[in-house]
Amino acid sequence: MSRLTDPEETEEIEIRSAADLLPLMWSADLPDYALDLRWSPDGSHLAALPSTGMPGIHDRKTNAVKNLPAHSGGNGSIAWHPQGSILATFGQDGILRLHDISSRTSRELQLPRGWTGRCAWNADGSLIAAAVGKAVHVIDPHTLETLQIIDDHRSTVTDLVWHPVLSNQLGTASDGGARMWRIGEKKPFARIDDGVAAVLTTWSPDGRWLVTSDQSPSVHLYDLKKRAPLFIQGFETKIKAIAWQTGGTSDLPWLALGGRTVITVWPCFGKNGPRGAKPIQLYGHLKEVSALDFPIDGPYLASGARDGLVFLWLPHHSNGPALIAREESEITTVRWSPDGLTLAYGTASGRIAIHTLSHKV
Amino acid sequence: MTSKLPVTVLTGFLGSGKTTLLNRILTENHGLRIAVIENEFGEVGIDHELVINADEEIFEMNNGCICCTVRGDLIRIIGSLMKRRDQFDHILIETTGLADPGPVIQTFFVDDEMKDKLALNAIIALVDARHIGLHLDSSEEAVKQIAFADSILLNKTDLATPAELDALEARVKAINGVAKLQRCQNANVPIASVLDIGGFNLDRSIGIDPRFLDPEYPFEWGGIFDAPAGTLTLEASKKPDPSMTTVIIPVSGTDDESLALAREVAMRAFSPDAIGAPSGHTISADGIPYDLILRAGSMNWTCEIVEPGPLAIFTQHYPEELGLLFLTESSELQPLIAASYKPDHSHDETVTSVGIEADGECDARKLDAWLSKLLRERGTDIYRMKGVFAIKGNPNRFIFQGVHMLLDPTDGGPWGYKPRRSSLVFIGRDLDRDELNQSFRKCLA
Repeated sequence: MSRLTDPEETEEIEIRSAADLLPLMWSADLPDYALDLRWSPDGSHLAALPSTGMPGIHDRKTNAVKNLPAHSGGNGSIAWHPQGSILATFGQDGILRLHDISSRTSRELQLPRGWTGRCAWNADGSLIAAAVGKAVHVIDPHTLETLQIIDDHRSTVTDLVWHPVLSNQLGTASDGGARMWRIGEKKPFARIDDGVAAVLTTWSPDGRWLVTSDQSPSVHLYDLKKRAPLFIQGFETKIKAIAWQTGGTSDLPWLALGGRTVITVWPCFGKNGPRGAKPIQLYGHLKEVSALDFPIDGPYLASGARDGLVFLWLPHHSNGPALIAREESEITTVRWSPDGLTLAYGTASGRIAIHTLSHKV
Repeated sequence: MTSKLPVTVLTGFLGSGKTTLLNRILTENHGLRIAVIENEFGEVGIDHELVINADEEIFEMNNGCICCTVRGDLIRIIGSLMKRRDQFDHILIETTGLADPGPVIQTFFVDDEMKDKLALNAIIALVDARHIGLHLDSSEEAVKQIAFADSILLNKTDLATPAELDALEARVKAINGVAKLQRCQNANVPIASVLDIGGFNLDRSIGIDPRFLDPEYPFEWGGIFDAPAGTLTLEASKKPDPSMTTVIIPVSGTDDESLALAREVAMRAFSPDAIGAPSGHTISADGIPYDLILRAGSMNWTCEIVEPGPLAIFTQHYPEELGLLFLTESSELQPLIAASYKPDHSHDETVTSVGIEADGECDARKLDAWLSKLLRERGTDIYRMKGVFAIKGNPNRFIFQGVHMLLDPTDGGPWGYKPRRSSLVFIGRDLDRDELNQSFRKCLA
């Protein structure tokens, strides 16, 4: 057991340690704040994105790290091609770079200058989208030709996400809410008009729900099955972390939301989804939860927070958290490997670490 | 504990010189790393690595409550800047020329992360000395930009006469009597005066404008002339309001004391029962104040001076506002001594500032109840508040500043040997000075 004390609030809790279960296997320091970590689809590589400086790719087998060119003005986002070995990086210089880690070649496209948001591949990897200012550029990755510019947004596009299965559907978040688009069409086919500034957007693994968090303490969902919006409020702070528990069974998916110190997990299956449901509430963090992730088809929820703690949870059992790691700065991202056996996390000071399950649980 | 990153907000109407000041800040060798968040559709774009274009994402956190209207783009962009190791020394935010600066300022009061990591250094308002008069008459936003400011740069002074500048300065101060005011051309001011204001400090505000808590007078200007016998003409180049009051008082000297004595006499003369003096009246050296009766549509007023000697004249508005000249039969008279006074009128502005000062201590419970009620009922009309309080039982100074219904209280440290007293300032629309004064005094312990 570990005794954890929040130095500012003098709160003290006792936490089980998961050090034996998930021992540290590797760690390194990025040149700056760890913005994101992304596993390659086969789990062989981990891409790490600092806020400034060179992004890196860690080879899980050899522990070798390959550095990639930095984006001037700051890095923005990274995305692995869903089937291949291409990693896209995008930054405030407006340059979208596609790095082929097999051939060790890269190509790049200069997009217009503006506040850059996320870049993301569609489900089959035939398209990549990048957000610049109020526009999303939909690009053919082979020719680097911009096929469509989706610019019917009230303000800067703060996030974008592709449908998990349908390769021609895209969701965008901006001031006023979220919009869902079919590539080739000029107008969105659905929208969440919540009137506030949407920050994060994500699509449920079954494609039913588009979810946005925003600058107010609320979350908006759009049920594409019923073509109806849903609104969850009552959080103490805005929601900074979202994760989906996936799987093929009828009692999935579940939606985990991290706001203040509490993680709430909502059922998003059945006729009504979270409507009228009582969420699971997970208590243990001492400061705002900033990162969440479920492994594919796995029950273990990993969380990170401003308290520097990385926790492991089994949300459907009321066992409380197990402590994986304790860092001196905020945990900014947590990512399970595709096989669900390895967890990577990054911190505000730029430290990244990999913990691997020592035995099957 | 890390110190908070200072943020300066730059506001001002279209063409007031915000971009000129931004360029000056970015190019001057001050050694600071400054991130600028500029409008996406700025008046003139600035191409610089540290300039970030933002579009105004104004949203309401709480069902349309005015105090919860904030800027989502600022939260997002500043949040992103804070994730960089090569931290900036300062963030400068430019508002659009037509914007109400309220939502920008409220962002730093409402959003938890902004409150934790950033300190609002100052709101700087650029004022175009040549055109602001028109804007103040027609634009609520132009008035708000001045009302919200901690520091006002009266820019383009080369395009206005000294008299126009005096009149404009008086009008600006009537709206916001607390802000530090600097005159400049081409936005040429010491950069430190923009970036190093260091947050709110009421003591310093009062120090900058010592007249803020001065007594108020029914006139703005007074001077003593050495008048020869004969006809004296007061001639205006702008048509004066017939109801405007001007007082002439024969006095015995031309020094400060004589002017101060005359000032007290003039106070009585400005009352409704003062002796009226129509044009052509004879002024005798008997110390009686004469309240000039102006004719509607007339540009001048004359009187006959029997005995040569010192003559004090007090005017409700600055003489420069009307282009007022004091003419003898052969020359123009200049005052030997003159002073300006804090007026009890506000140029018919509906947005004004009210300062209150009281010796002694406040009762914490009464003060809390008073502020709560005041903000609940009048928060929409109160743009900014600042205050330093002596609270009974609390050895430290209690400081707050606020925007609309939002208050940010802080501990101001020990009083030390300074007398325990409270000072507070409201800037807002349709403020009732007497009512605020009286209701605050009920909070005294």
